[in-house]
Amino acid sequence: MMQNPVSYHSQISKVLDNINKVIIGKEEVTTLSIVALLAEGHVLLEDVPGVGKTMLVRTLAKSLDCEFKRIQFTPDLLPSDVTGVSIYNPKEQVFEFRNGPIMGDIVLADEVNRTSPKTQSSLLEAMEEGSVTVDGQTVDLQKPFFVMATQNPIEYEGTYPLPEAQLDRFLIKLKMGYPSEEQELQMLEATAKKHPIESIEAVMHKDELLQLQEQVGEVFIDKMVQNYIVQLVKGTRNHKAIYLGASPRASIALMKAAKAYAFIHDRDYVIPDDVKYLAPYVLSHRIILKPEAKFEGIDTTSLVSELLAKLTVPMRKEYS
Amino acid sequence: MLESKQIPKESIVFSILLYLCGFLLFWEWLRPLEVISDTGNMTLLVLYAGFCFFLSILRVSAWISVPLKIAGLLFILDGLFMQEIITTRQWLMVFQTQLQYNTEMIMEQQWTHLTPFFRSLLFLILLWLMSYLVHYWFVIARRVFLFILLTFIYITVLDTFTAYQADEAIVRTFIVSMFTLALSNFSMQMDKESLKPAYGNWFVSTVIPIIIILPLVTILGYFAPKAEPQWPDPVPFITSTADYAGFGEGGSSTTQKVGYGEDDSNLGGSFIQDNTTVFEVEASQSHYWRIESKDRYTGKGWERSTELAYQTQPNGNIDLDMHTEQVDTIQQYASVHYTSDANFSKVVYPYGINNVSNGTHLNYLLDQETGIIEVEGPEQQEGSVYFDLTYQYPSFSLNQLEAAGGDYPAPIEDLYLQLPNSLPDRVVDLAEEITAEDQTRYDKVKTVESYFDHNGFTYQSEDIAVPGRREDYVDQFLFDTQVGYCDNFSTSMVVMLRSLDIPARWVKGFTGGQIVNNNPNGVSSYYNTYQVTNNNAHSWVEVYFPGVGWVPFEPTVGFSNNADFYQEADADPDSNDEQDAEEEVNAEEEEESEQEHQEDEQALGSEASQDGAALWNGYLLVGLTLGLVIIAVVLFFARYRLLTLLFIKRYKHFNDERSLDKAYHFLLRVLQHKGIKRKQGQTIREYARQVDAFFDSNQMTQLTGYYERMIYRSDATLHDHEKILELWKNLLRRAWS
Repeated sequence: MMQNPVSYHSQISKVLDNINKVIIGKEEVTTLSIVALLAEGHVLLEDVPGVGKTMLVRTLAKSLDCEFKRIQFTPDLLPSDVTGVSIYNPKEQVFEFRNGPIMGDIVLADEVNRTSPKTQSSLLEAMEEGSVTVDGQTVDLQKPFFVMATQNPIEYEGTYPLPEAQLDRFLIKLKMGYPSEEQELQMLEATAKKHPIESIEAVMHKDELLQLQEQVGEVFIDKMVQNYIVQLVKGTRNHKAIYLGASPRASIALMKAAKAYAFIHDRDYVIPDDVKYLAPYVLSHRIILKPEAKFEGIDTTSLVSELLAKLTVPMRKEYS
Repeated sequence: MLESKQIPKESIVFSILLYLCGFLLFWEWLRPLEVISDTGNMTLLVLYAGFCFFLSILRVSAWISVPLKIAGLLFILDGLFMQEIITTRQWLMVFQTQLQYNTEMIMEQQWTHLTPFFRSLLFLILLWLMSYLVHYWFVIARRVFLFILLTFIYITVLDTFTAYQADEAIVRTFIVSMFTLALSNFSMQMDKESLKPAYGNWFVSTVIPIIIILPLVTILGYFAPKAEPQWPDPVPFITSTADYAGFGEGGSSTTQKVGYGEDDSNLGGSFIQDNTTVFEVEASQSHYWRIESKDRYTGKGWERSTELAYQTQPNGNIDLDMHTEQVDTIQQYASVHYTSDANFSKVVYPYGINNVSNGTHLNYLLDQETGIIEVEGPEQQEGSVYFDLTYQYPSFSLNQLEAAGGDYPAPIEDLYLQLPNSLPDRVVDLAEEITAEDQTRYDKVKTVESYFDHNGFTYQSEDIAVPGRREDYVDQFLFDTQVGYCDNFSTSMVVMLRSLDIPARWVKGFTGGQIVNNNPNGVSSYYNTYQVTNNNAHSWVEVYFPGVGWVPFEPTVGFSNNADFYQEADADPDSNDEQDAEEEVNAEEEEESEQEHQEDEQALGSEASQDGAALWNGYLLVGLTLGLVIIAVVLFFARYRLLTLLFIKRYKHFNDERSLDKAYHFLLRVLQHKGIKRKQGQTIREYARQVDAFFDSNQMTQLTGYYERMIYRSDATLHDHEKILELWKNLLRRAWS
C-alpha cells in the first residue's frame, strides 16, 4: 500500500525530530504535545511513573529554547509554593514578589492529583487566566506558557481527583504508555554512555514559537467543519451512556487543537480528519459516564470513537 | 474433518446446485422450440446441452473438454443426418461438402438455403456457448438475476405471442428461480462475510427455510385467484396475419374463402366473406341444406373413417334412413337451382329427402353413412343445374326425445363415439361438469348446445386460431380462444357429446339463405325463393337418439335450429293451438333474426378488421412498452458506465469549483457502485486511502487532496487543472477495468 508521506511544517518537523531523538517511539504523544503548545493549551498526562513524562517536557523545553520549571506536587504543597509569595523587604520596606515555579515557559506539574484541591486550583487558575493573583496583586504570566501536568491513574492511593471543571482546562489528555520491547532496548542503547538530552540543542527560539502560535490562529476553518465539531460535541450531550457531556469550551478546544494540528501538517485549513483524529484526546476527559456505563466497562475514548463513526462527515459544498 | 476443507466443499456444492438450476432454466429456453418451430429431436439437443453443462462444471481443462464437446457434436450430427459411417473418407467428404455449400450460402446471404445439417451444427455450437455463458453467470459472477429475468420475459412473451403454452413452464421456472435466488444470495453472503458455518447451522439456515417457503409459496401461487387475461389472445391474430410467418406449418395459408369444401382435416383460421350465390331454392320454408356428415375427429379437423360406398338410387328415390317411423313428417317439395358458381356436384337436400329428379336421366348415388348424394349423368350441364326434391320434413317430438334411452346400435357406437386419444382431459371434464345435473340424454344435449351461448363465446370469422402442433382444435376453442365460427361450435359440441357417450356427428351444408322473392310463380304464396350464397355454408350437429334417429342441433352462437320440434300436448287442445301459433311466430322471428345476423356478419367483417387494427395498435403499444422497459433496465444497469463516458467527454478541464465537485462526487458514486463502500463517518481522506489500497496506488489520495482544499479551504482557485483531470480520468478508468 502506498501512502502519501505525512508532510509537516518545516520548523515543527525540526522540533519533532529533535524530541524524537530523546523520546523514543512516542511520536504521537510528542505531536499532540506540540499541538497543545501551538494551540496555547495545556496537556494532562496520565500515566504511571517512569515512562518518560518529565523527560518529554524537558526535551520540549530545551528544543524550543524555553525556560523549564517543575513543580512536584505533594499533599502538603501550598498554593503559594506554586504561584510565588510576597516577602517583606526590610531594606526597602516593601513587599517583594518572589516568583513561584509557575513563572516559567514550560511547566511540568508532576503528580498534580496528589496535592490538595486548594493548591490544584491555584495551578489551574493560572493555566486558564494566564495570570496569578497573590496578595491582591495580579502578575501576568510570561508567554509562552505551557503546562504539562501529570497525574497518577486515579485509582491509586492518596490522590485527590481533579474536579471536572478543572479537567476541562486541559486541552488534551494523553497517556504515555510503555514503550515496546524494541523501543526500550533502543532507549537503553541511547542512554548507555550519556543521556541524549545532554546532547540536543535548541532548534527554535521562543520568539519563533510565539510567531507560530499566532499563525495557528490564522488557520482557516470552514463552516462545514465547525458544524462537524458542534454536531460531535452535541452528540456527547445526548448519548445515553453519558451523564455529563462536553461543554462549549470543549468545542472551542477541539477547534483550536484542530487548527494547530492542521498547521503542524503544513495546511492552512482544517479538514474533518483533523477533528476526527483529535476528538478522543480532546473530549474524553470532559465527559462523565453514567455509573452503569462505567460498570459495563465502557470508557470515554471508545464512546467518542463510536460517536465519530456515526457522524456524517461534511464533504459537499452547498451551492446556492 | 479439517475446518479448512469444509468451506470449499460447501461452496462447490453451492456452485453445482446453482449451475444445475442454470441448466434447468436454460432447458426452459429449449422447450418451446418444439412448439414454435419445426425443431425435432429435442431430447438429443437437451442431452447435448446437459453434456456441455456437465463438462463445464467438472472444470476439466480445455484440452479435454473441447475435443469431447466436438466429438459429441459430430456424433449427434452423424446420427441425425449422415448415412455414411463416421470418420470414413466418404463421411468426411460429405461433411466437407456440407460445410462448403453452407459457407457459400452464408456468403451469398441465402439464409433460407442453409441445410438442416448446418443449422443443427450452428445450434449445437450455440448450446455449447450457452453452457459457457450460464457457467459464467451462475458460478463465476454469481449474477443470476439477469438470466432469471430474461427467462421469465422469454417465456411470457412466447406464451403471449405464439402457440406455446407456458402454464407449466412458468411454474417450473418460478420454483427453480426462487431456489436459485435463495442459493445465490446465501452463497454471496457467505463470500462476503466469509462465514464459516458449521454444517448443521448451514443446513438449518438455508435448506429448511427454502424447503418450507418454496412449496408454500408455490402452492399458494398455484391456487390463488388469478386475474383474467387483460387482452384477447393475440395468437389467432398473429397466425392469421402472418401467413408465411412459418410457425412450423410450412407457411400454409390459414385464411380460406368461405364456402363448401371437401377437406376438413385442418379446421381453423379465418375466412373471407364471399357473397356469391351458389344455388337458389324454391321451397315453402327455410331449411338447412344438408350435404354430408363426417365421423372421425382427429384433434385438428374431421375425416371419414369409412370409404365412401355409393349405391345407385333407382329413379331418384333416395333411400336415406335418418329417422325412424315414429317421427312425424310432412311431405314437401322444393326445387334447387345451382348457379355456375357452385363448385360442387353433390346434391343439397333438406331433412327427410326421399326423391330427387330433374327431368333428365341421371343416376343418383348415395353413401348411406355420410349421406352424400352424388349425381352421375351422361354430361354435366354447364350453367344452371336444377333438382326437384320431394321430402318428408321431420318434426321431432320433445317427449320422444326426452324419453329416448336404451342402448345404441353397435355400428352407431363404433363410428360416432370415436374420439382421439390426444383429446385433453379437461374437455371431457368440462362436458361432465356442465351436464352433471341433467337427467336425460336430451337434456344433456340441450345443455351442451346452449353452453356456448350462455358462456360468452362469440361468433367471429376473422382472427380465428389454428391449433398448434400439440394443440387440440376443440380444446383451444373451449379454453383459450372462445371465439370462432360454426366449425368451432359444431365440432366442440360433437366432441363434448361423444365424451359423454352420446353418439353425434358433424354435418356440413348450407343454411336456409335469404328470401329474395315471395311468390315467385305469381300463383301461390306457398313457395318462396331463397338465395343461398357461399356465406351460408355452415356446419352443425346431429345427435343420435335410439328410436328417433339423427336429430339436428345448432350450437353456433347467433344461429337457431330450424328443425321442427313439438311438445305433445296431453292437456287441453286449445293450448296446443296456441302453442302452434306461438311456434310459428317464433319461427318467423328466428328467420328474421337470422337474416339480420347474416347482415351483421358482413358488417362484422369490417368491424373485425377494425378490431384487428386496434388490436395491432395494442400489441404495438405493449411491444413498445416492453422495449422501453428493457431499454430502461439496460440503462439502469449500465448507468454508471454510460455516465462515465458522458462525464469523461464533458469535462475537458475543471475550470470551476462546481465541475470538480460534480466530477469528484460522480467518481465516489462509481467507486461505491464498484463495491468500494464508504462507511458512515468516514472522511474522504480515509476513503481515499481505502480506494488506493484497493487499486494499490495513491491517485485517489492525491485527487482528494485537491478536492479537500477546494471544499474545506473554500479555495476556488484550482491549480493543476491537467493533473486533476488526469487523476480523475485514471481513477474512473481503473474503476471500470
